[in-house]
Amino acid sequence: MTRTELEPQPPANEETSPAAGGSPVERVRVILSRRTEGRAVALLMVVWVFTLLFEPLVWTSYEVTLGRIALVGLVALGLTAVILMGELDLAVASTLAVSGVIMASFDNLLLGVLAALATGLLVGAINAFFVVVVGINSFIATLGMLFFLRGAAFVLSGEQPVRIADVDAGIAFGQPVIGPLTPRMLIFIVAFVALYVFLSHIRVGREFYAVGGNRQAARDAGIPVTRRVFTGFMISGFISAMAGVINTLERTAADPTAGSTVLLASFAAAIIGGVLLNGGRGSVFGTLIGASALGMLQVALTLSGVQVDVQNIVIGGVLLLAVITDPASLRAAAVTARSLVQGRAVRQDTG
Amino acid sequence: MSETAQPTASAEAGSTASVPVVEGRNIIKRFGGTQAVDDVSIAVARGEVHGLVGENGAGKSTLMRVLAGVLAPTEGEVLIEGRHLEPGDTRAALDAGVSLVHQELSLVPEMTVAENILLGSTPTRAGVIDGRTQRRIAGEALEEIGVSVDLDEPISRLSVAMRQFVEIARAIARRPRVLILDEPTATLTPAETDHLLATLKRLARTDLAILYISHRIPEIFTLCDRVTVLRDGKLVICDEIGNYTPDSMVQYMVGRELQLDMANRRIDPELGEVVLSARGLQAPSVNDVDLEVRAGEIVGLGGLVGAGRTEIVRAMIGADPRSDGETTVTLDGRRRRIGSYRAAVNAGIAYIPEERRSDGLALTMSVSDNIALPNRSKLSRTFILQRRRIAEFARSLAETVNLRPPEIKREAGQFSGGNQQKVVIAKWLGRRPDVIVLDEPTRGVDVGAKAEIHRLIRELANDGAAVLVVSSDLPELLELSDTIHVVRDGRIVGVLPGVGTEETEVMALAAGQREVDAA
Amino acid sequence: MSPETAAATSARPPAARIEEELEVTAFKLSEWMASQGIFIFTAALVLFAVVFIDGFASLPNLTDVFNRAAPIGIVAAGMTFVVISGNYLDLSVVAQVATAAVVLIAVTNAVGLLPAIAFALLIALAYGIVNGIAVGVFKANAVIVTLSTTFIGLGLLRWLTGGSIYFGDSDGPIRTFGTTRIGPLPLSMILFVVVTIVLSLVLTRTNFGFMVRAYGSNREATRLAGVNTPLVVIGAFTMSALGAMLGGFVLAAFSNTAVSAMSDGYDFRALAAIIVGGTSVFGGRGSVMRTLLGVIFVSVLTNIMVLTGLGFGFQQMAIGLLIVLAVTVDALARKTRAS
Repeated sequence: MTRTELEPQPPANEETSPAAGGSPVERVRVILSRRTEGRAVALLMVVWVFTLLFEPLVWTSYEVTLGRIALVGLVALGLTAVILMGELDLAVASTLAVSGVIMASFDNLLLGVLAALATGLLVGAINAFFVVVVGINSFIATLGMLFFLRGAAFVLSGEQPVRIADVDAGIAFGQPVIGPLTPRMLIFIVAFVALYVFLSHIRVGREFYAVGGNRQAARDAGIPVTRRVFTGFMISGFISAMAGVINTLERTAADPTAGSTVLLASFAAAIIGGVLLNGGRGSVFGTLIGASALGMLQVALTLSGVQVDVQNIVIGGVLLLAVITDPASLRAAAVTARSLVQGRAVRQDTG
Repeated sequence: MSETAQPTASAEAGSTASVPVVEGRNIIKRFGGTQAVDDVSIAVARGEVHGLVGENGAGKSTLMRVLAGVLAPTEGEVLIEGRHLEPGDTRAALDAGVSLVHQELSLVPEMTVAENILLGSTPTRAGVIDGRTQRRIAGEALEEIGVSVDLDEPISRLSVAMRQFVEIARAIARRPRVLILDEPTATLTPAETDHLLATLKRLARTDLAILYISHRIPEIFTLCDRVTVLRDGKLVICDEIGNYTPDSMVQYMVGRELQLDMANRRIDPELGEVVLSARGLQAPSVNDVDLEVRAGEIVGLGGLVGAGRTEIVRAMIGADPRSDGETTVTLDGRRRRIGSYRAAVNAGIAYIPEERRSDGLALTMSVSDNIALPNRSKLSRTFILQRRRIAEFARSLAETVNLRPPEIKREAGQFSGGNQQKVVIAKWLGRRPDVIVLDEPTRGVDVGAKAEIHRLIRELANDGAAVLVVSSDLPELLELSDTIHVVRDGRIVGVLPGVGTEETEVMALAAGQREVDAA
Repeated sequence: MSPETAAATSARPPAARIEEELEVTAFKLSEWMASQGIFIFTAALVLFAVVFIDGFASLPNLTDVFNRAAPIGIVAAGMTFVVISGNYLDLSVVAQVATAAVVLIAVTNAVGLLPAIAFALLIALAYGIVNGIAVGVFKANAVIVTLSTTFIGLGLLRWLTGGSIYFGDSDGPIRTFGTTRIGPLPLSMILFVVVTIVLSLVLTRTNFGFMVRAYGSNREATRLAGVNTPLVVIGAFTMSALGAMLGGFVLAAFSNTAVSAMSDGYDFRALAAIIVGGTSVFGGRGSVMRTLLGVIFVSVLTNIMVLTGLGFGFQQMAIGLLIVLAVTVDALARKTRAS
């Protein structure tokens, strides 16, 4: 019996066109259209133009800019891991705050840091527990945790900032270590590389995409979905805790109200970076670009003398736009628009 | 032709190997009140291709999932090479060498071909993905089934047929002991089907045991060594392929006592003008469909599960978007083009969807509320709910459909399937629709309710409505329809008169057997 | 029980059977708790407070409880529409309440009471429409959408007011409203009850409320019944906005002042009240009357904590925990009903 080779057939629909063959330009165009980082790049371009024209200080005082990008980006990285699986972690801001407070409660710096990181892991595990074991939607579960942890941060800190014991270490932490890079930026770079490698080259990380892209298929393939969800939330918790440690060290005090603007910006960064809220699509690159855009934007606004409140308006606006221009949302809006236009049955001449 | 319910002697493992690769012993599977699989035993030997056939709802998919270890049987056990398989444990089944190619594709859309092929068994070196080995294994699997596709292409960019091949490659890549395929050729062209069948025959020669579900009789005859026929969850016969003919197989699949309710059958109904008309409908799974229903006519859409009947109907009324084609409703001489679902409803179309629980009813609301929902403008001129009017309205409609018990204040979710269906119909009856589209109106409905629903449908047609019914229940289709359109692969492949048509004729068209005869 | 089933059952280890029985009991218990629990718990809590907490049952304390409960209750009543429609919640009430309070006092001082109310109404409509379109037309996640509108709204408010405190006219109608009492009941509490009754009637007796409940129960079925579902969502968020507006008015009247920070905590208190009251966060189940009970529960609980010296932090923890527990019970109850 002869073995016949079967080539990909030309598809009936436009949606599924294979890229095999075609000119190099065609191939590049197809590859680009698949990427999810488009909106983040667009925003970054806008921010670049805006800052070059109006606030070139953003570029000259790049340490401040890089520092902001690092903090926003760090939290956004943790969020990316969770969103890729099709879940959400709203508790990141208060995890940050609580971890900072816990760290500052210890006299021994190292012990404090370890305790803070452990707290982050614990919070992540609890979130995952409610999501996969109890079966509560992650939006509500982490929202409840957000409130709970915010309260915990207040209680543990006595409702005021807690100074760390070793103030000198804190000050040293804010100094550049390699070139212009402060420990905060280095940690971000390490986290970025680590997460990139994890999500692209490590099997467990790669399976996050499967858990988010088609959870049933992942289960059918024998992937331990529950374990993966726990891992994802614990990564997010750990990273938020780390951000809390960084924040506390640099300010030499733990602020129980910390994190709210970071929350907003990091969500905007991840979502506009192309990480789809339904899961299964997105990349850490997108998050990086998104964080860069938002970090620069925040610094530009600050340097221009714009108050925090107006900054919140801008960042809030970016988040709203980001979530509306998600491809699934745009499709839904198009359907509604179409049915609105064709809402009435159109009368024709009698046949 | 004997129609025994006893498995024949050759239901035992094939004469060649000693221990069958996969064996199901006295499998029983119940879902709530329904018996999906009723005491079926089946065995497949090494190197054997075993076909499993039956109508829609015969229990094939359920049995398949039990054998694949995905579903735990209510009773009975599954043995892989003589060893008991832990029920419901996907991982254990995979490790035991069972590979299932699902009917709904189990692929991750944004991951590449290579990644999907190795999903769940990605090769690693100390946790790091071994990309080279992954590509090698994926490439080998694809070569094994003779398919060429870019390993880095994301699944979402592939045609449905190509995705099916990737799914099969994934099953092969695990080097399974038994390969189970559930309707693998549903989305393939004839050329692709031939290719797949040739590949499977070749694989069987490598001692792989294959279990193959399909409706398509020609394929079964090309491929299988032995065939088991299921009907209504029970084993009808299991025999060597040589002992069947295409006709006898169809007869086994379908051959109940034809208890058609001919007493109530409409003979020579008065048909009016064409009311509902669709031309050139094009949508995912809908290929250039034309359809017409006259006033007072009951048109039945027959075909196998996955043929595209629901898709056709939903594209027609705008419940799902369509890429091309036009639907018009003609009433009182005025013809109106239907652009959207709301336009359809406003033009007088009533739609009773296939899934009543997820699409047809608000289960946590009362029957009365459900009935009122599409009738709001009729029931109250102001913004205030007219409770008493609604209650009267609902009560009278509940009586018309003979809802039992007639407690309209009770939550819809608490009624039996049949009664729930009656509520769905009742709510649309209130609008006195000119066009009624029903998708599987008596699925999961008890015999009594079924008869009542049939009565309602006939009454509606007698009152002049244009009725379109999608049904997988052949007797129902034959009892109700004035005209039957048979659907396969998203297109109408045949139009038969309601009166005088045999079940086997419809099934043959639906299963593609007519093509064999033509060739 | 057929012989085969009996054989199969007895073949299972006793431990597994006990586990199954416990599971079934837990499910049944959660179903009961989700639907009836609130009545018992509220009564028990009030009883506990009266007996064990010093100072709870005194007139000034009760008046204080009512005064604080009223604005939260009005907000929660409005937000119930969003929750019942299956859209989780409206976080932007925090921004809306403060905005309404500031608008009421500032605009009344500048121009007059009626223009102030008209302006606040416009703002409420704006919130309802923006939130509603983002969630109803673009089908974006309500939590993230309302999170962003919260920041936009609060940012706008703080920017425009500079965080300053606005004082109402000491002889003005606002003050009069805020200080009038009938017995121990402040006018605000009576307004709360009236609003609850009105909103409850809207939810249960109007076409609109009917569609909101239907949408929350089953979106697809509601769409297939020919309902204009995006409008329903916009309507739900508008109800929430109107509730937030009235709540802001009452809050301003209480102290005759307004400042942008005064609505702190309104998001989780309102949500807690709604969920604890028994309205399901999954949509389709619940009522405004139940939210009333939930408000009483949350207010009494908060008051107990205040009287025993537990500060804002503890209150947040407790309410956060309450939310998680209530949703857990709700989720288990759903599983019970499904089987």
